[in-house]
Amino acid sequence: MDNKPSLSQYFGGSEIPPASQFFDEIGTSPSDMIQSVYLGESEGSRTTAPSVFTSSTSATFSQPSALDEVTFSNVVPTVSGTTSLPATSLPDPSTFFDTIGPEPTIGLTKPVTTTALTDAIDGLSIKNQPVDKDAERRRDAWIPNEEAKKTLMKAQSSPKGSFFPEREVLTMPGLVLEEELADALQEVAVKYLGVSCAGSRGVVRADHVTRDEPGLRELIRTGYFRAAVNLTAVLISAAGQGVGRMHRPTKHTPRSLQLWLTRFSLMLRIKLHEPLIREAEQFGDCTKPDMFYQFYPESYENRPGSLVPFSLRLLLAEIPGHVGKPDESMDRLYAMLDVIQQMLSNLRDGKTEDGSGLLSSEQDKAESIRLWTGRETRVYHSIVNCAIALKDYRHASNVLSSLEQACSTAGQKRAVCSALCRLALLAGHVTAARAHCRRATENRTHVCPTPDVREYVDLGLVAMAQGKYEDAYNDFVRAADQEPTNIMVANNISVCLLYMGRLKEAISVLQKAIKSDPERGLNESLLVNLCTLYELESSKTNEKKLNLLRMLCKYKSDTIPNVLECLKLA
Amino acid sequence: MDSKEAVEHLVALKVMRLTKPALVSPNIVTCDSKDLPGNILNNYLKDDATAVSQMETLAAGQFLLLPQSFGNIYLGETFSCYVCVHNETNQPVQSVSIITSLQTNSQRIELTAQEGTTPTMLDVDETLSDVIHHEVKDLGTHILVCEVSYMSNYNTLASFRKFFKFEVMKPLDVKTKFYNAESGDIYLEAQVHNITSGPIIFEQVSLESSQQFTVSSLNEVNGESVFGEVTLLQPQESCQFLYWLKPKENMAKEVKPHGPMRNIGKLDIVWRSNLGEKGRLQTSQLEAMALDHDDLRLTVEQIPSKVCADEAFTFKCKVVNSSERTLDLILKLRSPQDSSLLWCGISNRKLGPLEPGKTTFINLTALPINTGLQKVTGVSLVDLFLKRTYDYDHLASVYVY
Repeated sequence: MDNKPSLSQYFGGSEIPPASQFFDEIGTSPSDMIQSVYLGESEGSRTTAPSVFTSSTSATFSQPSALDEVTFSNVVPTVSGTTSLPATSLPDPSTFFDTIGPEPTIGLTKPVTTTALTDAIDGLSIKNQPVDKDAERRRDAWIPNEEAKKTLMKAQSSPKGSFFPEREVLTMPGLVLEEELADALQEVAVKYLGVSCAGSRGVVRADHVTRDEPGLRELIRTGYFRAAVNLTAVLISAAGQGVGRMHRPTKHTPRSLQLWLTRFSLMLRIKLHEPLIREAEQFGDCTKPDMFYQFYPESYENRPGSLVPFSLRLLLAEIPGHVGKPDESMDRLYAMLDVIQQMLSNLRDGKTEDGSGLLSSEQDKAESIRLWTGRETRVYHSIVNCAIALKDYRHASNVLSSLEQACSTAGQKRAVCSALCRLALLAGHVTAARAHCRRATENRTHVCPTPDVREYVDLGLVAMAQGKYEDAYNDFVRAADQEPTNIMVANNISVCLLYMGRLKEAISVLQKAIKSDPERGLNESLLVNLCTLYELESSKTNEKKLNLLRMLCKYKSDTIPNVLECLKLA
Repeated sequence: MDSKEAVEHLVALKVMRLTKPALVSPNIVTCDSKDLPGNILNNYLKDDATAVSQMETLAAGQFLLLPQSFGNIYLGETFSCYVCVHNETNQPVQSVSIITSLQTNSQRIELTAQEGTTPTMLDVDETLSDVIHHEVKDLGTHILVCEVSYMSNYNTLASFRKFFKFEVMKPLDVKTKFYNAESGDIYLEAQVHNITSGPIIFEQVSLESSQQFTVSSLNEVNGESVFGEVTLLQPQESCQFLYWLKPKENMAKEVKPHGPMRNIGKLDIVWRSNLGEKGRLQTSQLEAMALDHDDLRLTVEQIPSKVCADEAFTFKCKVVNSSERTLDLILKLRSPQDSSLLWCGISNRKLGPLEPGKTTFINLTALPINTGLQKVTGVSLVDLFLKRTYDYDHLASVYVY
């Protein structure tokens, strides 16, 4: 090639890979991922599955009115013995929000949580046993908007059987995703490794569980997310909200909404965004009156609160943020926050969340405030996440700073300072990051005397941002000394090594990390890093990638939505 | 492509631009422990290697992800790149070396590499690699040229070149405006516009003034930046910086500067973007049009900002002869009809001869008759030699209460 090149010639031809060659895959082909989900179900699952479904659905759901009792009295005699266990077999029964909410009260509340845990399926089985009315009220509390209030008043005051709501006040969801989803990892494995290697994992798995909530939990627990989505479709169809039921009046129950929550959570996790948006659209922001118990005086009398679980409400608000419309999410999250703050102010005045009654005891009040402050924080976190997605780092750090003010313990303060530090790094504000890091250290000294992994990692990240890769490397290595099995630390060491020009070592660090803990090590982002390094090292990468695929088949079920992209397999 | 490459050459060359890595977070999906999925999804989140423990629901991650695209590169940033040569055969390859250079529209830059330039033997599956850095100082098309040479199986020196093209774009748009004050001070307003595709943080924006001026930044109030804690600019946003340039003492004496243009200095801007990616730009020498001074200058030296109505007040003015001859001056005081200040004292007063470059001070007294913000107006100086009158209709303003 001469030295007077016409520029286009070099990169137009397929001969010379442009510098961007390794990078395009993730960026351009998320659509491929979705397609791989729709396409090719294996023939076997297509023929067997429906028959199983129909038989079991007719058995379990023939009488919609008796639905609740049937499902939950059933818990013990299911096919797989483990299905009755999942709630208790979970490693940490304290609620997830406890980690965010005020710490000191956790001990106090634990008894409540554990007794209530036995009916992790509660709310769905109102008639079975006396439940903690306060806990129920607290959990389901929500204030309807003015529009909905009017309809609810009408529902409550109309004589029995004479309340006929307008169509406009109804929520009318229906399934959109018609196809049954195949196991994504299985598909890739069959394509690249052959049928024998891939085995027949997911399909069998799905057939082994009962067609009910415990079975659903079992699928989720074992990581067969797509099979679980399929099962939610079966259960939702049985509840009369299946394919083609959209825009038709339907009966909502706490159970049907729990099913939707499960379905949406899973779809979000495996990034089935397109059908998710369409199915979620019907719920709007859950402000329609039929989302409140008072809409159904015959079933729930004048029970306050909403049928919509808080997690579903939050998830629906977050969805636009996952599909490139974080500003829309932001509006919805702030609307939620407004209601929560109204409820908190009611609680502080000694009233119930919706302000309609008085709280029975101080303990009730403390419990409610604890729960809703925790949820408020969770919404704030989502707001910060949206701001980060919008790259509005100023907004994000303002919200986080206000959360820091609200922290009561040094440990919490420290965690927020550390987050502020990383937030500043996202924006490139190195000086602020260092300042936050120092404040995190000050708070850390109240908790433990010597630097821990958290601190070394933050220091390493700051050094990274300053371009001091040697320093960063040393910080990460110190973190690794404390937690040799920490996958994230190993990953950061590896990235650092590349910037220091030590590609071979970078690769071996990641490979070692995967070997040491395949369950956690086979992480999407880590795989992307490792395959990026493979491609940089040599043009013969296929066998190495297929090895990773074999490991995935061995150790993972169906939790990684975009296997092809992660492994950069063509 | 790969197979052809392998047939032709014993080694393969790979190049990757090292922009700053990203911080990634897991896909955050949570449920209440009493929801149908219970804590199962929460536990997935907790166990995710990319989650930050105790802050799982916050997307300020700590897990570094390698750059997955070439991205944009802007003038003033540093182009960093990993160059890697891999032995693709099953036998050692002798005398492998890489030479990299960067071809811009105007010049060819040899990129110095720490290793790789001296021929080395590459064992089976070994790599020869290098990280190169180059601060980008040209706009437009750049071509990274990598030349790899090695000893072929026939003991002849074989080599091949690869070219990687990228465009360097302009990161900032800087507009400047000058305000000349009668006193000879200059105010510089610099509007910096972020024309990159992402938010940037200004780490430093300063005016390096030329020898003739002392500069003070007017972007802080009581030590705090007027932009708040963070000078963060979203794409297409801009912000204004204001600087006050005072001619240095020895320059002030030279009241009539030579030439119409004066060198002000350079703006020096250091910014950072994603995860601390750094850029630095200096504007070219900024030049201000010198104020076309009259032969005579009258400026207010001292004046109260607030005065009482119906109480006479005095203020001090400075008269400078910036011509090359001695001036014979008469001070006239007029009180126009709409003026709210009445002059006290003698009009048509002779100020006496004023030599070139010399200064004299005069005290004037006025009586405000209306409240509000009032203009000081109606002062004139008459050059007796040229019979020329200089009117000063807006010397200053005072607040009358």
